[in-house]
Amino acid sequence: MTIPQTPTHTPPRVRTTTASATRPERPRRYGPLGLALTLLAAGLWAAWTSGIDLAAVLRGPQAFVRILALMFLPPDASAIPGALSGMVESLQIAWIGTIIGALISLPLGLLAAKNVGGRISPTVSRQVLNLLRSLPELVLAILFVSMIGLGPLAGTLAIGLGSIGTLGKLTAEVVEGIDRGPIEASEAVGGGRFQVLRWGVLPQAMPEIIAFWLYRFEINVRASAILGLVGAGGIGGMLANFLSYRRYGSAGTAILIVIATTIAIDIASSRIRRRIITGKSATKHSLEPLAQVVTP
Amino acid sequence: MIRFDNVTLDYAGGVRALDDVSLDIDAGELVVVVGLSGAGKSSLVRAINGLVRPSAGTIEVDGREVGSASPAELREIRSDIGMIFQGFNLVKRTSVLNNVLMGRLHVVPRWRTLLGMYPAADVEVAMQALERVEIVDKAYVRASNLSGGQQQRVGIARALAQEPKVILADEPVASLDPPTSHVVMRDLQQINRELGITTVVNLHFLDLARAYGDRIIGLRAGRIVFDGPGSEADEQVFEDIYGRSLTADDVLQAKAEL
Amino acid sequence: MSATDAPVQSSPTRPAKPPVSWKLLAGGALFVLISWWAGSGRFGVGFSAPELLSGFERGQRILEDLLNPRWQAWRGLIGPFIETLRIAVLAALIGCSAAFGMALLTSRVSAPGLRSFLAGKAVLNVVRSIPDLLYAMVFVAVFSIGPLAGIVALILFNIGVVGKLTSETIDGIDTGPLEAAQAAGASHTQVIRTSVVPSVLPNYVAYSLYAFELNLRASLVVGFVGAGGIGQVLFVALNGFRYDVVSLIVICIFVIVFLVESVSIALRRRLV
Repeated sequence: MTIPQTPTHTPPRVRTTTASATRPERPRRYGPLGLALTLLAAGLWAAWTSGIDLAAVLRGPQAFVRILALMFLPPDASAIPGALSGMVESLQIAWIGTIIGALISLPLGLLAAKNVGGRISPTVSRQVLNLLRSLPELVLAILFVSMIGLGPLAGTLAIGLGSIGTLGKLTAEVVEGIDRGPIEASEAVGGGRFQVLRWGVLPQAMPEIIAFWLYRFEINVRASAILGLVGAGGIGGMLANFLSYRRYGSAGTAILIVIATTIAIDIASSRIRRRIITGKSATKHSLEPLAQVVTP
Repeated sequence: MIRFDNVTLDYAGGVRALDDVSLDIDAGELVVVVGLSGAGKSSLVRAINGLVRPSAGTIEVDGREVGSASPAELREIRSDIGMIFQGFNLVKRTSVLNNVLMGRLHVVPRWRTLLGMYPAADVEVAMQALERVEIVDKAYVRASNLSGGQQQRVGIARALAQEPKVILADEPVASLDPPTSHVVMRDLQQINRELGITTVVNLHFLDLARAYGDRIIGLRAGRIVFDGPGSEADEQVFEDIYGRSLTADDVLQAKAEL
Repeated sequence: MSATDAPVQSSPTRPAKPPVSWKLLAGGALFVLISWWAGSGRFGVGFSAPELLSGFERGQRILEDLLNPRWQAWRGLIGPFIETLRIAVLAALIGCSAAFGMALLTSRVSAPGLRSFLAGKAVLNVVRSIPDLLYAMVFVAVFSIGPLAGIVALILFNIGVVGKLTSETIDGIDTGPLEAAQAAGASHTQVIRTSVVPSVLPNYVAYSLYAFELNLRASLVVGFVGAGGIGQVLFVALNGFRYDVVSLIVICIFVIVFLVESVSIALRRRLV
């Protein structure tokens, strides 16, 4: 083929080589400055009125290092069996609690999604979920311990209830973000409400939802490690005891076990989440892991 | 100004991008590099400012050696070399002016860049660069609000703000439509002729190469297979460079008629 | 299968149905097993209907008290709530600022070097893995009872949360502008200041708002371990078996968190 000679293109605007456009005026933006000042003021107020003794702050690092040394150099090995069984109980609490939260949040989340839940229920469900999110887990644990007594069951209920709110909201957001296509397709073939859910909504949304469940499990492991503080089972009570009786060596052991377990769970959970989200194909909403179970 | 001495460039994985390349570019030349994807033209251009390092041989820019430069020396060398990218590489969330000021980073003291307080003299240089590419009225507009052609002109202004001795352009028009491509190439040509800045441009549209390049260098499989004025580069030459018959994709004009 | 399909001469053979992934089956079985073990009465938490019912029965009286909050006591709660607010604000300001630096250190894109990157990542992972209340407990031992322990504890908590989120955002930015800055001869700090910071700033502010929310919820309870704020009042009420006061405090916590969260969500939506 021949390469054409380039015809002279007249550029769309008249071009001169001397500066033709005038320089614009520099816009004045007060937003960021105002924000910075507000934050500074808030910080100063908080620091000033808190009555915190500067001397105490300065003594802090030294005391901190001293306690760290007492805790970890060396940690008390004899506390390992007890701490391990406490951690295992915390894991169980987190496990069952997350399952409860996941199971209840799924229908609630679907109801709260604007594209699936209908007209009225999204707003109502959203508010219910927001309400559920507002209580810190510790407070829930206190309530449940008061109501049904000490022990891991109270902790499990606290974790379960505490997870519903956040999981429900995240579920609703995922569902709202899916493609309209499969929903329309399943409606077009005459599917009823449940079938549209099963075939149009869930296959798209499930991978991300399950990923959120796993992420919530990570958080719940941390929470359940603490709940024992109020008698809701797990390693938390042990830890609180060690610290108040100044058995720092044992506390150090317990803390190390909590850290190690949490990191291990985080790593495992991230790996599983990554595989679920990316799957074997590179599509955004991967159907692979679920599809094998879903297709008849 | 730019000298390649027996330069070989290998990438990890055994890919040989440049094979014993030697060339001399004088100050003030406008050179266009053509070749297939993977023929080494991107590596050639990027080796000039050290974004990729040669495995063998030396590269000199204005008498300074690039391959063995320390990080501080490399920054010094790069401050004299402006670069324009296919993807424009602007910071989308900030203003045009802030983007152009990035060209002054090497001469502005670090603490001033951290606070975002550029000296008035440097702002003046940036404004003049914007005036040269005729987009100064958009100085305070967010970069992402501009069209592709406008963004590339900002990219050119950023390079100009460095007051460079050399300008490199790595496929500067590949993401632009034909009329805009001509505007950008004309800008580069004018800058080269009026300011005498040595310019090396990477292109894969052959009609553009012939129209704007004083000198064309053809690369094939990492070797220079053609080096001469545009007038000597006819279809046969290009077919040699490409190693195949030419297609409509190789020519900008064909795209415009589509 | 329609019988009217005309057979094509060169029809491809139907592929065999892919077997269900054994990994999936094994995973599912493991899941069921663990759940059964974790929920059982003998080895686990004892999650069963009869347990729950008898538990609720035992707590009847307490439940009654809980349902009758002592409204008159609200005046005494104002001071502790303000202290809670202080803890949250200070911890957020200091913690989020430090978190930004930490995030720069622990992102592949912005880390100054391999060693500092790995060290930073290790530190951040450890810092993240400690629950907020655990920090509070430890710092009460260090600083003794009072809000200082709560503030320091939440600072570290903030660094963990915001640091990780921001670091992941930095990992995901467009690296084109960074290359341009490097090509212009900018130093590492200059590259970060001009190309990284503007790209992640909105997300970072949103994360900081989120952290402040978390702070507020955490600071409401850190007092429980002695780190200042309303949690301390909660602790006293609980130990005194004053469930009516407990109820009031819980309701107030609830209202505050709800309000803060609504505002925070609205603000965050306008940012990103």
